[in-house]
Amino acid sequence: MRYKSEVKSQKSEVRGQKCCKSPVTSRRLVTWCLMSFYSVFCILPFATTAFSGGKRGVRTVAVITGDEIMGRLKQPSGLFFDEIKKRLYIADSGNGRLVSFDAEFKYMAELTNEAMTLPSSVVRNKEGHFFILDRGKGEIVFIDLEKKVVKSFPLSGVPSAKEQFVPGRMAIDADNKLYIIDKLNRRLIIVEQTGAFVREVTVKDKGFFGFTDVRVDDKGEIYAIDAIAGVVYIFDDKGGIVSRFGSRENKKDNFRFPTSLAVDKNGLIYIMDQHAGRILVFDKKGVFQYAVSRPGVKEGELSYPSYIFIDKEGRIYTIDGNRIQVFQEEKG
Amino acid sequence: MKSSGHIIWLTIGLVIFLGLQPGIIYAKAVKDTSGICLECHSKKAEELTKKAIVHQPVKDGKCTWCHNPHASKHAGLLSYTGSDLCYNCHDQKKGFMGKVVHKPVEEGNCLSCHDAHSSDIKGLLKKAGGEGGFSCHPKESIINKKNVHPEIKNGRCIVCHNPHSSDREGLLIKDKKSLCAGCHPGTGEVFAKAHLGYKVSGTDCLGCHSPHSSDKKGMMKASLHKPFEDNKCSSCHPVGSASVIKSGISLCTECHEAVVAGFNKINSHFFIGGGADNFCNNCHNPHASDEKYLLKDKEARVCYECHNDTKEYVAKSNHKHPKLGICSDCHTSHGSNSQFFLTKGDDTCAMENCHSTQGKFTHPIGEKIIDPRSRTPMTCTTCHNPMGSPEKAVLRFEKDRELCEQCHQM
Repeated sequence: MRYKSEVKSQKSEVRGQKCCKSPVTSRRLVTWCLMSFYSVFCILPFATTAFSGGKRGVRTVAVITGDEIMGRLKQPSGLFFDEIKKRLYIADSGNGRLVSFDAEFKYMAELTNEAMTLPSSVVRNKEGHFFILDRGKGEIVFIDLEKKVVKSFPLSGVPSAKEQFVPGRMAIDADNKLYIIDKLNRRLIIVEQTGAFVREVTVKDKGFFGFTDVRVDDKGEIYAIDAIAGVVYIFDDKGGIVSRFGSRENKKDNFRFPTSLAVDKNGLIYIMDQHAGRILVFDKKGVFQYAVSRPGVKEGELSYPSYIFIDKEGRIYTIDGNRIQVFQEEKG
Repeated sequence: MKSSGHIIWLTIGLVIFLGLQPGIIYAKAVKDTSGICLECHSKKAEELTKKAIVHQPVKDGKCTWCHNPHASKHAGLLSYTGSDLCYNCHDQKKGFMGKVVHKPVEEGNCLSCHDAHSSDIKGLLKKAGGEGGFSCHPKESIINKKNVHPEIKNGRCIVCHNPHSSDREGLLIKDKKSLCAGCHPGTGEVFAKAHLGYKVSGTDCLGCHSPHSSDKKGMMKASLHKPFEDNKCSSCHPVGSASVIKSGISLCTECHEAVVAGFNKINSHFFIGGGADNFCNNCHNPHASDEKYLLKDKEARVCYECHNDTKEYVAKSNHKHPKLGICSDCHTSHGSNSQFFLTKGDDTCAMENCHSTQGKFTHPIGEKIIDPRSRTPMTCTTCHNPMGSPEKAVLRFEKDRELCEQCHQM
């Protein structure tokens, strides 16, 4: 069987309901009037309630699983869309490589190196240098493709803590500062391009388990999620808490196992709920807006998704199993 | 004429409807009916005189508090079923609600332990002391060791457990740190000597001691951490202090260095959870355990502490994988390069002693068999959900048609 990375653009259709004309007798007219009254005053208010904060349609832009040339993706665990070069980079962890795709999501090249074993989280700065979380080594790897340099990225000046530094997922801001999750010490370490410590961000909440994923918006506001507690934190650029919301209590509209998050250009926060198999969208105050996708393995559905990323054009990138899907939200 | 007919039928309907309503309404009108009832139920009358303890309504002859003498939709002409009947008098809020509720209470099955009419045992219990508990909680799994806690030996489970509800795990009557101190105050020379001079009062005794039975002296748990077993407390603690000589996981990795490599995987459990001071203590007990790998509790309980939504999903599923309680049979607990921390990736199901023949005579699976829906290779979990399903054989869809139609259009 042949398989290749397909670029697809299928717009989901909204079907209009057909009306059937029929002779209207006086009795039917009365019935029709009564039904209309009933519909307007009894059914519609409930229908409106039920659908407010409902689902948002998406169209699938691309599905990437691999092809004969690049081989199959194996446990991809992070991706990054470079807005400057318009390229998608996928950390294909199981194959120990970084794979790049063009703006049309066609395979371009792969990068492997002895200094990189299990690439996981990936970001790229304005100068085109990569910073990659290597889960195999438990460290950050710096890559300069032009100078052909692949080396460890040591941090300096980080205040010592109770536990050793074990890096988690990363984010990068407009000033090229790196935001690295310090898993064991339950904090976020912010460093310059040189690796020099800038500051740390942490939470004193009693039920805080540590950060699982992090993003930064253009204003420098930091968004992080605690998957075990099911809480989303928003910090200002100084690390002060602006907002927090969410829980994993067994109640309606709560998270089941939120593993990743992303922020769009309008400031909406997209939470990837792995066990619910869908994306939940909130505003900054934590008010639920709508849900995207549903659990399943078909195109457009999500099967235990682990990662989400949103680019400047609003395209949503997801990782579920060994598949990357790119969605575009339907307007309206 | 027609309208009067309607009124008659409506009246009859109303009488039948009211007649079938819970007898408690009817009972308010009738005081003592025992004379009438026991006239026919003579066997019950004889039984009542023989038993030492009689349920108060029975004693007062108020049979209709529970039974409807005419008609009922419930067996025994009862006004209500299950605990709904009992809660008419016994306030549910007083002792029958809590974070942890005993299963029979939760299911409203009061009569699994109590006799509604009379008993020779206090509390109208059907069986005395521990015998009642052992009818559901097998004796051989609780007191199967050489040394048995004397209270259990005497069948007094309620010294530590509340049989109805509690806000504490294990239906304990007090929190773990003060439970034992009620009988074992933790003072005296013998106590201090047994604990090598370390101040253990106010700590969780159940961390080291087995509360029910043990083969070890001092009711110690079955598996002991080597330094603990050798009384080398100073390997981890300063002499006479409960504090530790090194912070964080470095305390453990000094001896267990090789374990760290197990965490450096694509999917890693390297995180702080559960609020333990030491990351390792989220899952392990550094002193003693009755479980393998010095786990702090039964394996599934340890995992469900964080994966509580999985626990709920499993509980709701009609069909479950038989090994669901032993998570480590399929999942690697520290780290894995496979999705879901699977021990052997896509070959996990086909492991030795499990489904080794699967895939050989069933639907083909493997790297070359592509699921047209996801465009990824088919595995066992393409069709089965081992964590539970409403369908038999933990299938993801109904087996006769829906499952196949996912890929094979008919």
